[in-house]
Amino acid sequence: MLDQDLFFTTLSAYLLGALMLTIYFLQPTKWTLRCGVAAAIIGCLAQYADLTVRYLTTHIWPLTNLYGSLSLFSVMSVTLFLVFAFRYRLWFLGGFVQWLAAGFLAYASTWNEGSMPAVPALQSYWIKIHVPLVVSAYAAFLIAATLSAIYLLKAGFERSLQRTAQNDVSEALLAQRLSGGTPNIERAAETGHQIALWLNTLPSLPSLDIMTYRVITVGLPLLTVGIITGAWWAKEAWGAYWQWDPKETAALLSWIIYAAYAHLHTRHAWRGIRSAWLSLLGFASIIFCYLGVNIWISGLHSYKF
Amino acid sequence: MNVLVWREKFLRLFSDVLFAVSLFAFWGVLTFIGVIIDQGREPAYYFSTYPATLARCILRLHADTIYHSNAYLGVIAAILVSLAVCTFRRVIPARLPPLRAVQIEKMALNARIAWHGEEAVLRERLQEFLRSRGWSIRLRTLDAVEWTFADKANWARRGVLVAHVGFVLIAAGTCVYWARGYSGELTTMVGSTVTIPQTGATLHLDSFLYQIEPIVTKGGIVYQPIDYVSRLHVRAHDGVLRSATLRVNHPLDLDGVAVYQAAYGVATQFRVTQERHVLAKLAAAPVQEGASFVLPGTTRTIQYARFVGTIGSDGLPTLDPRPNNPGVILTVYDGATKLGDVLVPFGRDADVGGGFVLRPLQTRLYTGYQYRFDPGIPLVGVGAFVLLAGLCISFGFLPARLYARIDGAGTSWSLSLAASTVKGYLIFEEQFTALVQALRDAELPIVT
Ligand code: HEM
Repeated sequence: MLDQDLFFTTLSAYLLGALMLTIYFLQPTKWTLRCGVAAAIIGCLAQYADLTVRYLTTHIWPLTNLYGSLSLFSVMSVTLFLVFAFRYRLWFLGGFVQWLAAGFLAYASTWNEGSMPAVPALQSYWIKIHVPLVVSAYAAFLIAATLSAIYLLKAGFERSLQRTAQNDVSEALLAQRLSGGTPNIERAAETGHQIALWLNTLPSLPSLDIMTYRVITVGLPLLTVGIITGAWWAKEAWGAYWQWDPKETAALLSWIIYAAYAHLHTRHAWRGIRSAWLSLLGFASIIFCYLGVNIWISGLHSYKF
Repeated sequence: MNVLVWREKFLRLFSDVLFAVSLFAFWGVLTFIGVIIDQGREPAYYFSTYPATLARCILRLHADTIYHSNAYLGVIAAILVSLAVCTFRRVIPARLPPLRAVQIEKMALNARIAWHGEEAVLRERLQEFLRSRGWSIRLRTLDAVEWTFADKANWARRGVLVAHVGFVLIAAGTCVYWARGYSGELTTMVGSTVTIPQTGATLHLDSFLYQIEPIVTKGGIVYQPIDYVSRLHVRAHDGVLRSATLRVNHPLDLDGVAVYQAAYGVATQFRVTQERHVLAKLAAAPVQEGASFVLPGTTRTIQYARFVGTIGSDGLPTLDPRPNNPGVILTVYDGATKLGDVLVPFGRDADVGGGFVLRPLQTRLYTGYQYRFDPGIPLVGVGAFVLLAGLCISFGFLPARLYARIDGAGTSWSLSLAASTVKGYLIFEEQFTALVQALRDAELPIVT
């Protein structure tokens, strides 16, 4: 019962937080920011409490099924958002992250079969290390993907404004655009264009790109250590640290994409739009690895034996 | 001459980051193919799952065993070569540049601060200021100009090298396994002994226990396996017989070979009769799930498809795998043609045609073990650790360098300051602005 109450408290808090921070995104005011952040913190606390209560009442580690792990994924996404937001002032991101967290939590509930003891392969202390690490990496990539999406939104709008104002190709404007500025959005904002006004309150394109890079450079080591602990566990459970199981391999695919991102980002010409698309591709591969493989592709990670 | 040109072309290509990323992309595509196409199945599986043309493509391009294909191994080899070339030609020069004079005003992060007073005092104050903020200072006179170089996290410039070395170590560890390691599978029934062929170590299975719990869930009852345990007597190369327990997640070490609990099943002993005569040869040994036998003098094959724990009151298999009202599912083939499945309860006869009658009599548990000798594991482990350390260093620290020079005469001097980092200038812009501001605000006294 307490489990249910905490679940609904979390979901409601995330929805409220998402609403408040979306309003903040559209029209920044102090009170919407405060309400949104407070709701996010309450949601996180309630969700951690929920996971703890589930463990204490059943004595079963709550991350042995998709419900538990998705639940951790949503709370980690909001937690990491709060950490990054406090550090880099990313409050504009909160609405999107909380909508996604609420969505994943609601989706998680469709996998809630009640508490089941773990199958033998999952009866290992490694689950307590491996799953939180991997899920934290996924959460970091969710935040990075959200930042990239916002980057692409802003860059795309700048481009579309540029197309409609094609006759203005002054050198100053060109130089501003080349250095990552958004002169067309700024100009449109001055004339009161609503979308331009919203986008103008966001950090500049280079800042968004750097923030995405920062978040990915937290996610990639987490994913690496997640894969390493998974391999270590696999060595204990299945006899080989690498079995080319679809889940392992899908995680490797995501790792390859983010490693490519890190390398491309060392090239000036590849920063910005291209690396934002790569970050989105990386997150698509994460979702494929996390949910797609669990649902569509069977393998050792279906935990049959 | 030609060789030198080609060598240079090769080195230029392999040291290009974009080329490295294309290799990553190719590696990613092959990996993705491996995820979505079931690996290591029989050709018939691909023909039954995919349209014939696609199935033929899969088989011809070795997409069914992609991780061992030449393409896969080739791309990893190319990545290693590119990594080596790039590390020496690009990473080291880029990350560990010598201290040299720069054109300050041409650098993206630059500032100029005017100073009235003595040059020596300015130099001293500047160094004090930077040292107090964690910058390490080096002084050089280049082309008769005295330069002050200040570094932060200079050691972390080697992070990329560490990450690259880690990757190479992992690859090397994997090669050690290919060169010297081995692995295999063993299946044994209760009361039988199996031998690891490479070492001669033996495992005698005394008993095999499993526990399955019915759990009530929202979607109905689920039969959840909880435990699988083999109780064994093992004899390693020292010849001593020891008792041992083998469980999932708790492998056994026999002469450095790790043995894992991997599978289990229910073998069944059948009585096979033809025109009421018992065929002693066919009825002798228990048959394992999935195994087949041919009925003598016919083209018929009987496959013991699987054990059914509980047959329901409607005569159909239930989901309960525990042996309450057990039976077996047999699949009858004539040549390659499947004739059908038949569910036979224990102790009952099944007429499989041609005058043959089968009766499942007794069960015997069997279990599967995997064994593996992998001398590359320590290297892979160290490589993984080094790779992780490299990533943490590369991503967790930002090596930055300040270039400072003082120009002027008498009591009128100006301090020119520029900064660069290994990750471009944008990532350091805020810090640089704050640093310059702090320099201006500091009680040096420095005035603009
Ligand atoms: C095809 C093979 C590879 C090549 C040619 C290559 C080359 C490079 C180059 C040129 C850089 C930029 C150095 C600089 O600007 O100072 C770099 C950075 C880096 N490489 Fe590699 N690399 C390869 C594979 C790998 C692999 C497999 C890893 C393992 C994760 C890795 C990890 C890193 C890291 C962490 C960085 C730093 C990125 C950053 O600071 O954002 N590299 N690599």
